[in-house]
Amino acid sequence: MFRTDEIIKASKLPPEGVAMSRHIDYIYFIPILFVTIVGTFHMHFDLLAGDWDFWIDWKDRQWWPIVTPITAITFCAALQYYNWVNYRQPFGATITILALLAGKWVTIVAAWWWWSNYPYNFVMPSTLLPSAIVLDIVLLLTRNWTLTAVIGAWMFAALFYPTNWAIFAYSHTPLVVDGTLLSWADYMGFAYVRTGTPEYIRMIEVGSLRTFGGHSTMISSFFAAFASSLMYILWWQFGKFFCTSYFYLTDDRQKTTKVYDVFAYATLANQDKAKVGGKA
Amino acid sequence: MNIRHAFKLWVMGLCGVATLAFTPVFDITPAFAHGERSQEPFLRMRTVNWYDTEWVGKSTKVNDVTELRGKFHLSEDWPRAVVKPVRTFLNIGSPSSVFVRLSSKINGTPMFVAGPMEIGRDYEYVVQLKARLPGHHHIHPMFAVKDAGPIAGPGGWMDITGRYEDFTNPIKTLTGETFDSETMGTATGIMWHLFWAAVAIFWVGFFMIRPMYLVRARVLAAYGDEILLDPIDRKVGTAVLLFTLTVVVVGYLAADARHPVSVPLQAGETKVKPLPIKPNPFAVEVTHAEYDVPGRALRMTLHATNNGTEPVTIGEFTTAGIRFTNKMGATKLDPNYPAELVAQAGLTMDNEAPILPGQTVDIKIESKDVLWEVQRLVDILHDPDQRFAGLLMSWTDKGERLINPIWAPVLPVFTRLGA
Repeated sequence: MFRTDEIIKASKLPPEGVAMSRHIDYIYFIPILFVTIVGTFHMHFDLLAGDWDFWIDWKDRQWWPIVTPITAITFCAALQYYNWVNYRQPFGATITILALLAGKWVTIVAAWWWWSNYPYNFVMPSTLLPSAIVLDIVLLLTRNWTLTAVIGAWMFAALFYPTNWAIFAYSHTPLVVDGTLLSWADYMGFAYVRTGTPEYIRMIEVGSLRTFGGHSTMISSFFAAFASSLMYILWWQFGKFFCTSYFYLTDDRQKTTKVYDVFAYATLANQDKAKVGGKA
Repeated sequence: MNIRHAFKLWVMGLCGVATLAFTPVFDITPAFAHGERSQEPFLRMRTVNWYDTEWVGKSTKVNDVTELRGKFHLSEDWPRAVVKPVRTFLNIGSPSSVFVRLSSKINGTPMFVAGPMEIGRDYEYVVQLKARLPGHHHIHPMFAVKDAGPIAGPGGWMDITGRYEDFTNPIKTLTGETFDSETMGTATGIMWHLFWAAVAIFWVGFFMIRPMYLVRARVLAAYGDEILLDPIDRKVGTAVLLFTLTVVVVGYLAADARHPVSVPLQAGETKVKPLPIKPNPFAVEVTHAEYDVPGRALRMTLHATNNGTEPVTIGEFTTAGIRFTNKMGATKLDPNYPAELVAQAGLTMDNEAPILPGQTVDIKIESKDVLWEVQRLVDILHDPDQRFAGLLMSWTDKGERLINPIWAPVLPVFTRLGA
């Protein structure tokens, strides 16, 4: 079914080397890569888009679909670069969002529920997993990061609202309390006291997008898609910057040159083939 | 590094971890309040002057409804360093949501969203609370000002008995359904998260079951990616893509069909009219104020005129939720007011006699108690703007209470006279 045997043969690794590489896969992938993404991306995401993701009464039609995908696509793009360029593995975005949600749920259970006693529905996070899967598959099918930035990143942001509507549609059900119209989400934000988070901190449809009336979600999603595309390009380049390895090669004339090659160890094995002074 | 050295480091590390692990076991002190005393005194004294605060039903059972109510005056001496109260929200200071807030009204107007308030005016609030989490809780009214932060009012203890598992909070929606705020939407949300996690794990797992990193990197470096791009990956990728898009669309339409009536989040502005200004025949002005550091006393000279028809007696000075009373003021105290915030004999005057109608007097008044230190109000002396503000409470012979906001710069007295 798979080309595994062919790939292993091409790697020219002895059986013990293949077995060892699988051990490295498991040790590196779960305890190191995954946990590192949880630790780094979860914190960064929460600092940038945390309130929108923590609280049900922050999930408005304008800022929530703008802020969340734009913030989330950053590490997705960088991790996609790393996994795709070095290994042709098309799961960089998915593993990033899986790790983010793993961190989120640890926080929800440990910090919000167990420690702070807020109900799960009040602090339910949004999901970007379908967006991430689509982003990865677009990269796999197009094999081109520019096309992924245009098609995949746009779909990443555009899918966000419809995906999460399935989770949060109920929270827009209207109700009347003390003669005042509220959505269920507003009521939750009012009922569950947050001492350090007064109501005015929310950013609910603030800005001129409101002039578009009920279409603000579509326009926000479009804007988020456009901005995600740009963000994807930027963070792909960050991925490239941080994943690029180089070494110094001294030739027969004792001239030392900085050699860029992301597969440094492979190139080192074939130093005579190294592209001196050029990018691999 | 030899084995002996490594073992030594390992033992030291183990001791460190054990110390950290046992610290909470042997030395853990529960925090009962919210650090309100650490809030700068100029914020507590010169912004919101709380009075008549009542913690109704200091002991309640889970699901019982109780109230926190009272009044506040927005000080005329509002500090320059604090943003004016153009966007404010009446909040509750509590250790998490131990109560669920059912209703919050200021001067009878529901306050679900923030709104402006007027400096120099008075407001009356009533917050309905439903007991949720059993325990002994310190509850404050709290006035949050945008760009200035939350300003804590006086804190009182409220006990909740019973079991949290019995708590329910059903609310009827405009569409006729009844939602429980504790559980509504939780199962659906968790179901969707698990579902998408399963799809994502399948997608990553599809590549995990084959060599992932080292082998592929070598092949890529040696031959490029033709071998690595397995045709089955593209087929499965296309299938997962179509499946994902289909589920997103179906999920969206199903949720839309299930909840056809929806409204966007509501976030307007509450417009609250202040309480009407009550005629006050008693006029008071602070002509001099000093804080005696070793004596823990704020001394003021008041220039007071009684323009009314009845004698007036001063009974209380309150600031930052702390109440300094004399004998007469003590008789007016609410016995349920937290004792730790009251200095019952803390107010003395050089002339305790009532101020007669038409009379103008200069009174030397002293509010003296260790509370100035305990409540960290003495930190006023470290401010770049050394002033105080508060409310002076007086009563006519007929029992009518007259409230005078007072404020003035404070001069420090660092040593005892003659010392």
